[in-house]
Amino acid sequence: MSAHPSEEGGRLDRDKLFAARLHAARARPYLATALFALHTVESKRVPTMAVDRHWRCYVSPAFVDRMPVEELAGVWVHEVSHLLRDHHGRGDRLARERGLTGVGDRLRMNIAADCEINDDVYGDGLVQPEGAVRPWRLKLPEGQLMEEYVGGISLGALTLDLSWLDCGSGADGLERAWDLGPDGADGLSEQERDAVRFRVAQGIKARPGSTPQGWQRWAEEAFHPSQPWRDLLGAALRSAVSGSGSGDDYSYGRPSRRSAGVPGAVLPSLRRRPPRVCVIIDTSGSVSDGELGSALLEVAAISRAVGGRRDLVHVLSCDAAAGVVRPLCRAEGIPLVGGGGTDLRTGFEKALRSRPRPDVVVALTDGQTPWPAAQPSCRTVIGLFPRPVRSRPRRENNPEYEPDSPPAWARVVEIGSASGTR
Amino acid sequence: MPMTGPAPASQLDIAADLLTLLRDSTTEPRPDSQLEALTLAVAADLPVLLWGEPGIGKTAALTQLATALDLPLTTVIASVHEPSDFSGLPVVGDDPATQGVPMAPPDWAVRLVRAGRGLLFLDELSTAPPAVQAALLRLVLERRIGALRLPPGVRIVAAANPRSSAADGWELSPPLANRFVHLQWTHDHEVVVRGLGGTWPRATLPRLDPRKLPEAVEFARRAVCGLLAARPTLVHRLPTNETRRGGPWPSPRSWDMTLSLVAFATAAGSARDVLSLLVRGTVGDGPGLELLASLDRLDLPDPEDVLADPAGAVLPERGDLRQAVLDGVVAAVRARPDRGRWDAAWAVLVRALETGAPDLVVVPATTLASLRQQDWDVPATIERLAGTVALSRRADRAAAASKGRR
Repeated sequence: MSAHPSEEGGRLDRDKLFAARLHAARARPYLATALFALHTVESKRVPTMAVDRHWRCYVSPAFVDRMPVEELAGVWVHEVSHLLRDHHGRGDRLARERGLTGVGDRLRMNIAADCEINDDVYGDGLVQPEGAVRPWRLKLPEGQLMEEYVGGISLGALTLDLSWLDCGSGADGLERAWDLGPDGADGLSEQERDAVRFRVAQGIKARPGSTPQGWQRWAEEAFHPSQPWRDLLGAALRSAVSGSGSGDDYSYGRPSRRSAGVPGAVLPSLRRRPPRVCVIIDTSGSVSDGELGSALLEVAAISRAVGGRRDLVHVLSCDAAAGVVRPLCRAEGIPLVGGGGTDLRTGFEKALRSRPRPDVVVALTDGQTPWPAAQPSCRTVIGLFPRPVRSRPRRENNPEYEPDSPPAWARVVEIGSASGTR
Repeated sequence: MPMTGPAPASQLDIAADLLTLLRDSTTEPRPDSQLEALTLAVAADLPVLLWGEPGIGKTAALTQLATALDLPLTTVIASVHEPSDFSGLPVVGDDPATQGVPMAPPDWAVRLVRAGRGLLFLDELSTAPPAVQAALLRLVLERRIGALRLPPGVRIVAAANPRSSAADGWELSPPLANRFVHLQWTHDHEVVVRGLGGTWPRATLPRLDPRKLPEAVEFARRAVCGLLAARPTLVHRLPTNETRRGGPWPSPRSWDMTLSLVAFATAAGSARDVLSLLVRGTVGDGPGLELLASLDRLDLPDPEDVLADPAGAVLPERGDLRQAVLDGVVAAVRARPDRGRWDAAWAVLVRALETGAPDLVVVPATTLASLRQQDWDVPATIERLAGTVALSRRADRAAAASKGRR
């Protein structure tokens, strides 16, 4: 680590610093609001340029002297990206979740956050500053999130020569000696920070053509972080099985055991009827066994959690023709037959005809299928394995074929690897 | 242990002493946005739903709230009740055919109605079976328990665990979600550590200022109507996404609630952070943030005022807001150009340059220069802006140097 001591620094060249910001704002108009919202603080204790979580930007005069204007503009964008992407909040969460408490861990987070930013913010009129960390330098793949990078980073030979790597508490959540803290002047309150981030996200969404994909993804998720699909699938399934008419609920079928104590009153009693879940599995070639396996295990675990028994979870594999409805007795024993084209309509028919009738039908599919025209007579949850539009296989005999989107009567949960951390 | 004293204290007495010592804690004042938001929503008589993991101090917060509002607190743990405890027990009388079957309310409801005022806290909503939840929602939304109707002096707060942690799961359907103010309840690590160390926070709760009431209503109406007039699509937007189900979303009903909340927060002089929690918890993040942004703009100085008195104008410190004001000033000159206003705008820009970052002045200065009419002389002050031209050129050079480099 070469932290640049800046005792030699004279006065801050404000004109150079702000000319760089002007250039950055012109090159990235969608970040202008955020760039201008940063409050600059001259500090000789900062090795380079650093931000804190209150949107102050600490600047070392010596660093400004050393950097050309065009590279300085890249540093501005880099620093503001840390704040927009909430790296300090995510760093804190990471520290809590994975027990990363040491100073070295925070440095790894800073490196990981830098990797996340640097792979797509430069170019297109903005120069990558000297010494910026790129994932390939650490032998890591590009295009990942900070959370994914952290695990792959170890402090050692590869990270030794990383300069300007202290982006401050705004980058990793660890307070620095130079931080003015929450009570210091000119910080942005939480609501103001959200407002700035929101305006930037709105600006990006308003002109999706001109912004890199990383930023578009950020804008989409800035205020609606994608939830882990397990939670969503669980919620959909739980609400399906615990809705009236299935699962346990009160009934007047038999008197309550409290009745004896309240003569004259009519009380309902609690009766449990475990929910029956039928899972239709799309076994056409386009869904991988790994994906299916994890989704199916999830369904089984959830239905057990809501009081179902394993023998009440039935599995039906289905491609163009439906297979046999089988109870799920062993997770590894699911017979998955098929591999051709898909028509889940036969699967739905078969599932609904099975006796006893299921309370909930869960379809696990990539959505490359026609759907039943009418709403089935029981609650339906669709676990959708998302497929990028471009790679969708077309049917050879019918190039015009476009699968229908999942129907509105089903609860649709996208199943994927989204970690939902952004 | 030495044997001391004539009558050795019993183990239980010693235990009581230890307990007294443990409970001996002090309080310190500390601003608490969540509690302030909750207080305002309850004061505004809107149904509040606290989302929070079990054991993070929701009940403690309610106790504090009850003290602040001077209301007796009644806590009802929903999951240990039956639906008839909320919808009323059907009691069969002598002649049901003529007299009907009355729905007898539970004792706590009778006491609440008799007292005429109180804070009813319905805890653990999400772990109750569906029929109990259905009965509870009628209680929260219609204020009815069996044959009784809760008097207006009774305020109701409900609490639920987030759906990811709710063991047997519950989530609101969009129409229900729309009726609540959703507040996320989280614990503050620092507060907990300090509290366990013996010092708990004492929140100073908002007080409505009677003199501010008409002004607060006027402000709230202007804010909400101003936004919705400009953004008609924000009025009603049903959540379509699975992630956003069960959360707040905008509709005329929730905007009406928002209007009340803005008025209450204004009358109480609450901070924007508090209002942010309330507004985003009522109409959702996106529309809520747009409302807050338009409130920020309402706070900015009026361009005409700035032009009228350039020397006395107070420009915001924050760069993005300052640039919004400068842009507004230049736009005002463009809308009604005359010599005096043009000169005044230059004076504003010089002031901005002297008190803040120079790059913010570049764009407004360029635009203002382009508004010059032939017979207008360049004011002397413009020389002080020469630096911005140099700055702009420097940025242009950097842009040229960046081309082709990566």
